[in-house]
Amino acid sequence: MSLNELMIMRHEWALVAVALVLLIAEIAMPVEKKKQINGLAAALAAVVVVLGFLPAQYGSLFGGMYVTDPLRILMKNILNIGVLLIILQSVSWLRQDLYHDRSSEFYLLTFASLIGVNYMISSGHFLMFYLGLELTTIPIAALASYEQFKSKSAEAGIKLILSSAFSSAILLFGISVLYAANGNLYFESFELSSSLINTLGFIFFFSGLAFKISIVPFHLWTADVYEGSPTNVTSYLSVISKGSAIFILVIVLFTLFNSIQLLWQDVLYATSILTMTIGNLFAIRQQNLKRFLAFSSIAQAGFIMLGVINASALGMATVIYFMLVYVFSNLAAFGVIQTVGHASGKITIDDYNGLYKTNPQLSLVMMLALFSLAGIPPLAGFFGKFFLFTAVAESGFYVLLTIAVLNTVISLYYYLLVVKAMFINTNATPIAAFKSDYAMRISLVICVVGILVTGFYSPVFEYIKNLCETF
Amino acid sequence: MSSEALIIFFLGGVVMVGAGILASNLLAPKSSNLQKAEPYECGVPTQGTSWIQFRVGYYLFAILFLIFDVETVFIFPWAVAMKKVGLSAFIEILLFLIILGLGLLYAWKKKALKWE
Repeated sequence: MSLNELMIMRHEWALVAVALVLLIAEIAMPVEKKKQINGLAAALAAVVVVLGFLPAQYGSLFGGMYVTDPLRILMKNILNIGVLLIILQSVSWLRQDLYHDRSSEFYLLTFASLIGVNYMISSGHFLMFYLGLELTTIPIAALASYEQFKSKSAEAGIKLILSSAFSSAILLFGISVLYAANGNLYFESFELSSSLINTLGFIFFFSGLAFKISIVPFHLWTADVYEGSPTNVTSYLSVISKGSAIFILVIVLFTLFNSIQLLWQDVLYATSILTMTIGNLFAIRQQNLKRFLAFSSIAQAGFIMLGVINASALGMATVIYFMLVYVFSNLAAFGVIQTVGHASGKITIDDYNGLYKTNPQLSLVMMLALFSLAGIPPLAGFFGKFFLFTAVAESGFYVLLTIAVLNTVISLYYYLLVVKAMFINTNATPIAAFKSDYAMRISLVICVVGILVTGFYSPVFEYIKNLCETF
Repeated sequence: MSSEALIIFFLGGVVMVGAGILASNLLAPKSSNLQKAEPYECGVPTQGTSWIQFRVGYYLFAILFLIFDVETVFIFPWAVAMKKVGLSAFIEILLFLIILGLGLLYAWKKKALKWE
């Protein structure tokens, strides 16, 4: 393999190298120095992110099994940044004595899953795509049961592995039907006619992927798994694993299934209405903040489908832009939940009453994150949603647009409930004032800067749109 | 492939399987005794329930065995074609073996190989 070819695959190579370095460090380091692995992992994640931004050639490898182009590199970079933020957020949690001998497992499995994400986005063949998908899910199922002495964590792991095995089976069946109809699995030379068998294959394929994105009616595992997993694993599930599935869905729909566009637009029309409405209505009743964000992330997936439904470069650009904003907003919210939960063990909305009095900075970060998720004007989330709505309006689905706008109003209500709890409600026993560690602060600052900058700085969207138009 | 072929294939599958089950149900002589209901008909009467707890150590050993079992599946085709595929494949298979070896070292370090 020449250097040029190495550079084409640099994301994956870097991640494999990082995983191996961590494994060797875990084997070679004496027990009392194990806490240094946390810092090492964060530094290596930063190196991976920087390496991803280097300019390099694009092309395909392994006879078309592996493809890169500027757009896919952008998607990988977005998700790599997300993983860097998650690793920064988990440092203080894993520095506890309880985990000092196991912290490298968390990083190893996270990087292994990220390798899967990168391969999945770069796949040029259905089997490559499937391998990437499995590599993404299985390490995360192990991580969901990381807190080995909590029964909820074990339950989350079991539920995730069972539901993902089920969804993989459905997805594989879809792929095999598509193969039976077309005799070809390469994305490049995949030609689809609109016949019954292709429709069948597409429906199964889409259902399998919808499990990963937790689109209604395939969302039932989400709330339990998100609640039971450790908070950092939850944020990985809701940002990285969901984001990668959305990215590959967009790529596949816009290239392979272009010829049955009318069919998938109908499917997405129905599922996006269901996803938004059910996600929002269930979120209102949640007291546990992790469950709350689980349903909120289901609703956000519904909003993202609005962009996909506009089957053009504009729709693609809005989806990627929204995901970029979503990474920062959601990780800021999860970061606050993580650090508050780590310091006080409290997780319900009522516990957050009066948080502003004791921890004003964290409350402000949480408020910005929730406002951005809700889509309140000066923040990036507003522009994200605004562009999605523009995309729907452009494709002429006005009924869908109305329902989406109504759903935004509902979501505003429950996001503001949390903000009200933090800023207005009084509490006899508020969460005591505490200082979060440096890594967490760096991560939260990056998130806040991301929320503000991606909104105000318009070249970001222009850049994504240009990439999508040349895709 | 047209959709008619798919429907015929599907119906054909249902009919073939259904007819087989139905025919064996109608034609086969029926007799029943206690021994037939047992899970294993090896001659020795079964004792107790099969829902027992067993050491998780067996499971770990099985997993470690499986890794190196699968390893041979990859090494064998490489060994057959070694002269044709050349040096780069040799380096690749070495990398593969080193990574697997690291995994074994890790398991060793974590005391997965210790039978207590």
